[in-house]
Amino acid sequence: MGRYRARPKVRGAPMWIVLLELRTPLIVLILTYAVSCLGLVLIPGQTDTGEVYHLSFFDAFYVISYTATTIGYGELPYAFTGAQRMWMLVVIYSTVIAWLYALGAVLTVLTDPEFRKLRRYQKTVNRVKTHPVPFWVVCGYGSAGSQLVRFLDQSGTRCVAVESEKSRFDQARLSNLSYELDVFWADAMDPQVLVDAGVQHPRCQGVVVLTDSDQANLTVATNVKILAPRVPVFARSKSDANTRNLRSFDTEVIIDLDRVAARSVGQLIQRPKAYALYHELVDPDLNRIEAMPIPETGHWIVCGSNRLSELVCEVFVRDAIPFVWVSPNRPSSDDIEWVEGPGTEAVTLKQARIDEAAGVIAATDSDGDNLSILLTAKAEKSPLVTVARRNRPTSEPVFQHGGFSVVLREGRLLAQEMFARIQSPLLHQFLSQLELMPEALVDGLIDKLYRRLPEGDVELDHFVISLREADAPAVVSALESGQRVELGDLLRDPGEGHPPLALICLFLVRFNGDLVPFPGEHLDLGYGDQLLMWGAEGVDARIEWLLGRDDLFQSLLAHRSIS
Amino acid sequence: MNTQRVWFAFFIVLALTMNFSFFVGDIDNPDHHHPYEFFFALVVSLIATVLKVGDRSHVGALLLATSLVADLQLIIGAVVWGMAVQSGEPISGAVMASVVSLAGGAMIANIISVVLLLAETLQIKR
Repeated sequence: MGRYRARPKVRGAPMWIVLLELRTPLIVLILTYAVSCLGLVLIPGQTDTGEVYHLSFFDAFYVISYTATTIGYGELPYAFTGAQRMWMLVVIYSTVIAWLYALGAVLTVLTDPEFRKLRRYQKTVNRVKTHPVPFWVVCGYGSAGSQLVRFLDQSGTRCVAVESEKSRFDQARLSNLSYELDVFWADAMDPQVLVDAGVQHPRCQGVVVLTDSDQANLTVATNVKILAPRVPVFARSKSDANTRNLRSFDTEVIIDLDRVAARSVGQLIQRPKAYALYHELVDPDLNRIEAMPIPETGHWIVCGSNRLSELVCEVFVRDAIPFVWVSPNRPSSDDIEWVEGPGTEAVTLKQARIDEAAGVIAATDSDGDNLSILLTAKAEKSPLVTVARRNRPTSEPVFQHGGFSVVLREGRLLAQEMFARIQSPLLHQFLSQLELMPEALVDGLIDKLYRRLPEGDVELDHFVISLREADAPAVVSALESGQRVELGDLLRDPGEGHPPLALICLFLVRFNGDLVPFPGEHLDLGYGDQLLMWGAEGVDARIEWLLGRDDLFQSLLAHRSIS
Repeated sequence: MNTQRVWFAFFIVLALTMNFSFFVGDIDNPDHHHPYEFFFALVVSLIATVLKVGDRSHVGALLLATSLVADLQLIIGAVVWGMAVQSGEPISGAVMASVVSLAGGAMIANIISVVLLLAETLQIKR
């Protein structure tokens, strides 16, 4: 092979490449046929009665056709003479070889992996060109990418994926989604690939860059900024330098996973309820509040010598959480209590005063080490809060059955952060407010919802209501007729007696842009307000019904003024 | 000088000249139109078509199209001729006329081919 160039130099249907490769075999075939026919026409034959005759071109072509394809009907229309048979020998061998050569060339092209890759690529390009609904482009289908695509599918958003690794590409093609995912097996750093993946498509909503390499993420982000300036770019960054670089050309969202994980560990220790609320909201697979009891006293042991463990230490120093760092490397600051060693041995953990510790954070780059650290720690002290970093998605089964308090799964964290920002800007605004809220307030809020929840195992969900004609016509018409609408009116069931729904409002963004976290029930609502609601799964259908029907909403308002 | 270009031009011009050799003569006189000439015109035309495949420029597409037209005309002519021969009777003036006129159509396509080839060549600045 190698006569044709791999994408993107050759554009258009790969059929042309087949034809290009077949040029020589076809000419050979035509010439062999021509010479064979001509020979048969020129060589004189004999009829049964001994008269000399010449085959017509038609007869000759017929004889050659069945001979070349090895069908062989015999000597037509009369038995051949010796001279004709000699020529037929030449014909038999040359035409059969010419056919084999042509078929071989066709098969070589068709089975060539590069050609098949190109053909598949071209098909995907054509599908993306006519993409019927809005979509996001996800570059990198690793554990983060695959989960993000799944999360987005659950909320009804479609994606187009780009992945350069064959195994992940195959995984993407096998993905079990509600639609057929268009995947490109190509390097996203190549600008043409981005164009093919649809970044310039009018329905492209944004590009999410999740590859493992900072260099690749940066290249893709810059390329998208130039190719399609209107398209927002959500990029992953693995270092502060890269984050600054991405920020310098206005990348919309930059997620530094190590920082997210470190912040999340700090939040878990200081404000477990806020941590639980945060994760319920950002993780579509987690539908309940799972608050963990965190001991009031005791220090924390951080094991690892990588960026994540350094950032965790940074958070601990900032928030004045007592801790010991177990690492083979000396810390940069002398204020940090440091134990030299890998942490996988009981000796080093004892040196770090494991018997007084509240918890252990195993943050090394090796899954085996992390498991070993936590198992050793659990044997030394119980109860103990165990935080494990899972590096490789393939280690999932052991971490799942390990009984650890918290497992930091990189891909999942990344997918959650991206999803929360893509799904609704309101949720993201609330989450940044949540960082600043006192734990008691968050606790009260969770209590408030749980008092409203029915008995039993209830799954939680959140959704956004926007007080505009499209989403809430009944509320808008009530407001226009001068009626007062309170927030509490949106938290009641449209049915008989209007019992309160298992629902609370987490966050309100006023039409003028003011932010109101945890608004009170008697707050007056206005046109254009946006509300982030949180409650039992399925309540959004009741609310949607209420907001869409004037009669129901009016009867609810009347009910309030009576009682 | 590019050998490939030589073969390319050679076959395109040869397709036209062969076609012409068959075409000249009285339209309905079988003595003026030999089957060998027709055979060679068809073979050369087929080869010219294959040579044109793969060039995806605008002119390349047009060249391929004209060649496919010529092939189609000649193949229809061959089928008409073949069927007439199969009846066993000597070829009639009417059949000959239709074969020759079909070849005439192919010749127009071949002329366009050659004109395109010339136009493309003259465009190249030295």
